[in-house]
Amino acid sequence: VKRPAVLLALILLLLASCLLAYRVIRLGYPLFPAAPGRTWQITIDALVRGGKGETSLSLALPGNQAGQTFIEEKISSGTMKFSLSREGPDRIGVWSGFIGPREEEIRYRAILFFRPVRIAGTTPPAAQDISAPLDRAEQELARRLSRNLSRLAPRARIKTIAAAVGAQWKPLSPTDQDFQAWRKIVEKYGLPAAVCALSQASGLPSRRVEGLRLGDGITAGPLVWIELWNGRTWEILWPETGEIEKKPENLLPLATGGSPAARISGGEISDIRWMTGREVVSHWRLHFERAQHSAHLLDRWSLFRLPPEFQQTFRILLLVPIGALIVGFLRNMIGFPTFGIFMPVLMALAFRSTGLIYGLGIFSGILLIGYTVRLLLDRLHLLLVPRMSVILTLVIVCFTMLALAGNIAGLRQMMAVGLLPFVILTMVIERFFVLVEESGVAEALQTAAGSAAISIIAYYIISWEPLQLTFFVFPELLAAVAAVQILLGRYTGYRLSEIFRFRKLGGQP
Amino acid sequence: LIWKAFRRLKDAGVLGINSRNADYIMGCNPRSLFPRVDNKILTKKLAQAHRVPTPPVYFTVEQHGDIAGLQKALQAHDEFVVKPARGSGGSGIVLVKGRSDSGYITQSGEVISIGRFSHHISEILSGIFSLSGLEDAAIVEALIHPDPVFSSVSFLGVPDVRIVVYRGVPVMSMVRLPTRASDGKANLHRGAIGAGIELASGVTTSAVHLSRTISHHPDTGNPVDGIQVPYWEKMLWMAAETYEITGLGYLGVDLAIDRDLGPLLLELNARPGLAIQLANRRGLKKRLDLVDRASAEISATPEARVDWALRNF
Repeated sequence: VKRPAVLLALILLLLASCLLAYRVIRLGYPLFPAAPGRTWQITIDALVRGGKGETSLSLALPGNQAGQTFIEEKISSGTMKFSLSREGPDRIGVWSGFIGPREEEIRYRAILFFRPVRIAGTTPPAAQDISAPLDRAEQELARRLSRNLSRLAPRARIKTIAAAVGAQWKPLSPTDQDFQAWRKIVEKYGLPAAVCALSQASGLPSRRVEGLRLGDGITAGPLVWIELWNGRTWEILWPETGEIEKKPENLLPLATGGSPAARISGGEISDIRWMTGREVVSHWRLHFERAQHSAHLLDRWSLFRLPPEFQQTFRILLLVPIGALIVGFLRNMIGFPTFGIFMPVLMALAFRSTGLIYGLGIFSGILLIGYTVRLLLDRLHLLLVPRMSVILTLVIVCFTMLALAGNIAGLRQMMAVGLLPFVILTMVIERFFVLVEESGVAEALQTAAGSAAISIIAYYIISWEPLQLTFFVFPELLAAVAAVQILLGRYTGYRLSEIFRFRKLGGQP
Repeated sequence: LIWKAFRRLKDAGVLGINSRNADYIMGCNPRSLFPRVDNKILTKKLAQAHRVPTPPVYFTVEQHGDIAGLQKALQAHDEFVVKPARGSGGSGIVLVKGRSDSGYITQSGEVISIGRFSHHISEILSGIFSLSGLEDAAIVEALIHPDPVFSSVSFLGVPDVRIVVYRGVPVMSMVRLPTRASDGKANLHRGAIGAGIELASGVTTSAVHLSRTISHHPDTGNPVDGIQVPYWEKMLWMAAETYEITGLGYLGVDLAIDRDLGPLLLELNARPGLAIQLANRRGLKKRLDLVDRASAEISATPEARVDWALRNF
């Protein structure tokens, strides 16, 4: 009996992995569709106060680099006009209009998917002579300072410049006079521009960049850094510390042309903030787009083709078998006592609308009331079906009271009580009563606690979004779940609880 | 640590619940034969055909309409037992010892009014106590007067002997002794004592009460070990015969010993519990494996199987 079961499980596993491999290899699905960290939400909020004439706000927007894909871009401009223009590689969003002295709120939101790209090729980017409008004497100085640099390889050159920014001038060994002149340039144009001038004088393309660090955070001003071309890629130098960034992929350049990321004319920016946040949920939209336009059989039969309101249902439904698997695991391998097989899973589903705390509270409250009423009912010796009907009515009455109380208290969770599985609740009350009668209160409470524990575990599993997404993208994983369920069904070893139950027998030789 | 503990259980030959369900119950007990053990009326009919004695049946009540007539018909009997035909775990059983003006007197001395008694039967018929919750029938049968052999170690109620039979071979046995805590019922989970019986000799050995090992009855204070069970070989034969009666390969056979009628088959259980291992301080698995290996040696008759069991266990 064991072999066919294992065989069937293997076939199911094979089926699941074949379909999965096909989707990943042939259709280019990501193996971990829910892998975090590669989709980011970037938000820019600005409050603009206008002047007498036309106000025009220019914001450098993301989307200027290779490997960035927009999943969503939303622009709200209020009463102002919005237009998009390019400055070199940069995307500049321009909001303009006559807004007068009142404040206008401007909002930009984008969800971006970052694909890792190798910037290949050895051709340096077009020289951008925008960084440092130095006069002749100053240019001469930069050339003198970088005299010793030109002999070095680009990477070493960058290192030396970085060291100089960090106040280690040794390899360049400027004269005191030149050094004083350099300090003046820094004061006059700012350190970034000065460093750009220095590196350009040594023949290294460089640029001043304003951008953001990808992380969960808010900032009132973008970061400023210097990018130096090492012959293959841009290296990032922090002007304040002279350090070279080790993780350039975590930086999002907005304005690379030397100009600030936010500019305004004919008014003032009274408040502006940039926000970046990790985006896990919206990731699937990418697959949705792909599946919508693909003619592949598996894409046409994809769950992404369902109308969105049904998609949500299936995201949950696909995880219910896992919940059942957990129940089976905890019962057959651990020995958790539960009320029935499906009760914990159904409870977990209901908790999604009531919330865990309210759900458990309402559940135990109704169980207690039900038990008390059932105790009184026992004296009346009612027949089975009418007796169960009375309990059912009681459960519904409790639901109604809770919903009304929730309405007055303004608690939505309590009004969602109607989604609790009332039939299951009725049966649990009956079984709880029988268990108390036959095996005592301790055993009944143990079973109730076991059921609650399993429903909590199941709740967390079906609410786990990365898992929802994975199953939604690869529904064939259900075959793998079934395979594990079959294997579990053939588990004939001991339950963990049996170590305790038969501990006296185990001691014997 | 867990593996070690599993290993120890395995070495002790303990049968776990998963293995019992998958390997023995599903492997040996075809679903289609379950009604033969789940329905006591059917069990009795089959047992009678095989000349296995059962408690005499006075009536069976199958419809609510029959309840009214029952009172009159019961006039002839002062003592009787009412049980659901498909009951489980001893629930729904009422033992009547006599009658008073207002109704029936139960085993524990409680008086049940006629109305409540009728209600109880109608509850049985509506399936409250049945395994599946479906409509059921009620059996009214003779009250067993237990043989005095266990009277020193039981409190009220009827002690019953449970023999686990695998492929017709009795493999392990115990006697379940009612206590005050179990309210005269012989169910272990209600607090009855389970005392192991050495299969070869029919003498009681170790005992468990509420999963603790005990040597004396908590109510009477008498030692529970060293009691020779009478009619032992006949009981083993009755147990072995159930294989022919039901065709089920893994059975729990419950027998009671009446002081006048001798051993009687009370009921059969297609899902016998595992506590018998605790009562005997011995794992079932080793014996089941022994039966599997010896299958060629065991001939078709119950007598030969009992013989083999007496020699091997």
